[in-house]
Amino acid sequence: MKGKKKPGDFLASLTGLAITLLIAFGLVVALILILSKTPGKMIYYFFLGPFTNTYYLGNMLNAAVPLVFSGLGMAVAFKSSVFNLGGEGQVYAGGLAVTLVCLGLPSANGFLGGLLAVMAALLLGGGIAGLSGFFKVKWNVDEMISSFLISSIVLLVVNYFITGPLDDPGNNMLASLPLAHQYNLMKLFSPSKLNLSALFAIAASALTFLFMSRSHIGYEMRMCGLNREFSRYGGIKVSRYLVLPMIIGGALHGLGGGLMVLGTYQVLYKGFSFGMGWNGIAVALIARNNPLGVVPAALLFAYLDAGAKAAMLNGDITFEIASIAQSIIFFFITAQILSDLARKTRRVK
Amino acid sequence: MRNSQFAIPFLHSAIEIMTPFLLAAIGGLFTELSGMLNIALEGLMLAGAFFCVTFAATTGNLFLGILLGILCTMLLSLLFGMTTIYLKANVFITGLATNLFASGFTVMLAFQLFGTKGVIQFPNIPRLPVLMVPDSLQRIPFVGDILFGHNVIVYLSWLIVAIATVVIYRTPFGMRLRGTGMNRQTIVSLGLSPGRYQLVGMLISGFTCALAGSMLTIQLAAFVPEISAGRGWIALVAIYLGNRTPAGILVASFIFGLSESFSNYAQGTIRIPSDFILAFPYLITIVAMILYSVWRQSRRGT
Repeated sequence: MKGKKKPGDFLASLTGLAITLLIAFGLVVALILILSKTPGKMIYYFFLGPFTNTYYLGNMLNAAVPLVFSGLGMAVAFKSSVFNLGGEGQVYAGGLAVTLVCLGLPSANGFLGGLLAVMAALLLGGGIAGLSGFFKVKWNVDEMISSFLISSIVLLVVNYFITGPLDDPGNNMLASLPLAHQYNLMKLFSPSKLNLSALFAIAASALTFLFMSRSHIGYEMRMCGLNREFSRYGGIKVSRYLVLPMIIGGALHGLGGGLMVLGTYQVLYKGFSFGMGWNGIAVALIARNNPLGVVPAALLFAYLDAGAKAAMLNGDITFEIASIAQSIIFFFITAQILSDLARKTRRVK
Repeated sequence: MRNSQFAIPFLHSAIEIMTPFLLAAIGGLFTELSGMLNIALEGLMLAGAFFCVTFAATTGNLFLGILLGILCTMLLSLLFGMTTIYLKANVFITGLATNLFASGFTVMLAFQLFGTKGVIQFPNIPRLPVLMVPDSLQRIPFVGDILFGHNVIVYLSWLIVAIATVVIYRTPFGMRLRGTGMNRQTIVSLGLSPGRYQLVGMLISGFTCALAGSMLTIQLAAFVPEISAGRGWIALVAIYLGNRTPAGILVASFIFGLSESFSNYAQGTIRIPSDFILAFPYLITIVAMILYSVWRQSRRGT
């Protein structure tokens, strides 16, 4: 990826992706054939289940929304060569921030209160992640480890709020009190859970793309990502771009978590966002850290989950088959050999 | 006297708790020194925990069960290593893949074999033997009560630390492994293959993580999904906190053992929400990392 990009690189990485998907889907089919008593039906539901009705389809699209936000957050950090392993905590904290604001203002105007809640999610997510950037600049503490540790603490603290002060005694689930009705985001695809936050996700992807590729700050961030020493000689304040990508990434994670509460759940469930941070890393890498690629990458992930869910509801396959398929994609997605191979074969032609 | 009555069980359990951290971290040290970031310790430990207890229950033989469990886990670390080294994939992502694969695969296998995704109990599994020491050693005041009376894996972990120290610093293999991490080109110019050393490092980490996992499940005589519960991540932190040396890792693991032992003790006695107490080890780690780098910076300054 160094130097000038050739048009062939894009095609080669697509070929690599196609090979990876073939391996992953091949393994899914093999597992279904081994494990299921009705393999034909299971394969049908795994691959086509998400498209059989609007309910499944809408839920699949909705499941991609938080992945878009965490994928964008990770892409911004990776582009700047900053590693944020605290996505899990940042998403969860965003959910908490929204819940706290909305429960604190039970009768506020839906739009203004919601806006305030979203701002709180941005601030909290960004603040938590920014802390790791600050530690890195101030004491040279590895941001990768510290963001993971802080996130682990945040998960536990949010759990405390859900099971402690915010607990809904009338609800058997581990969840907070429900948010007031005026805060519910508009549904787009009833009866599925798809809501207005999907449009925000697309907007966020476009804005992040513009910010990274067209703005001055975005340019300096990318420069620091390519070569920090060189950027320092070029007069860029390098330490600023250790903290800023963390803050932006954390804010995007927090936003994703907050919109999940506002749009999908209207209540803060214990563990509602678990996995979003990790999967965000994978989504960003499938998209090769390109903000515009994050949307299709998130859809791919959501599709695998939705397929596994549809298969599980209609037969004897466990949902975990999705995480196996996803892990196979992880294993091969960054394999340079695959895309190199594609490049070489074309050159021979 | 009242102090030691509190301190003895407290330190005794700290030594027991630190063992999985110590084992995983020592294995992870080999990959770390070979220049690979091993975030898969968590998944390898989980896979080891599942395979060891399952094989121990089906064979009825503890030693054979753990051995087979270790082999399966090493296969997973082989997959991790091969994709990373020979397919030139990003080690970070393949590490995540290993973790995700382990958590999905163990639950799926558990569902297929035992028909549940929850806790699986193995009531008939043989217990881990406690190492017998001469009575005179056991009777050393304080030290005897803390250091002895643990199961064999605890002592095995100390032995592994000693062996690792010798291997890393005193053998050609250890030198070349470290050389791979410092400068691959040197190893290539010696006519050796750096990838091979990295792969062996991965396999070693699979071995020790499986042992760490086996201790979790066999002591409990049960498998719980996600039983590794972040221990692999803490082990990774212990490598850095221990300044990438076996002795440092021993100290770092002991600190984690102490803080978790304290959490367990405090949960029963102090009126703090349990979530905050569980967060305590992570907090200690962050503080320790900051203090360590402040100390290092001030030393460099003078």
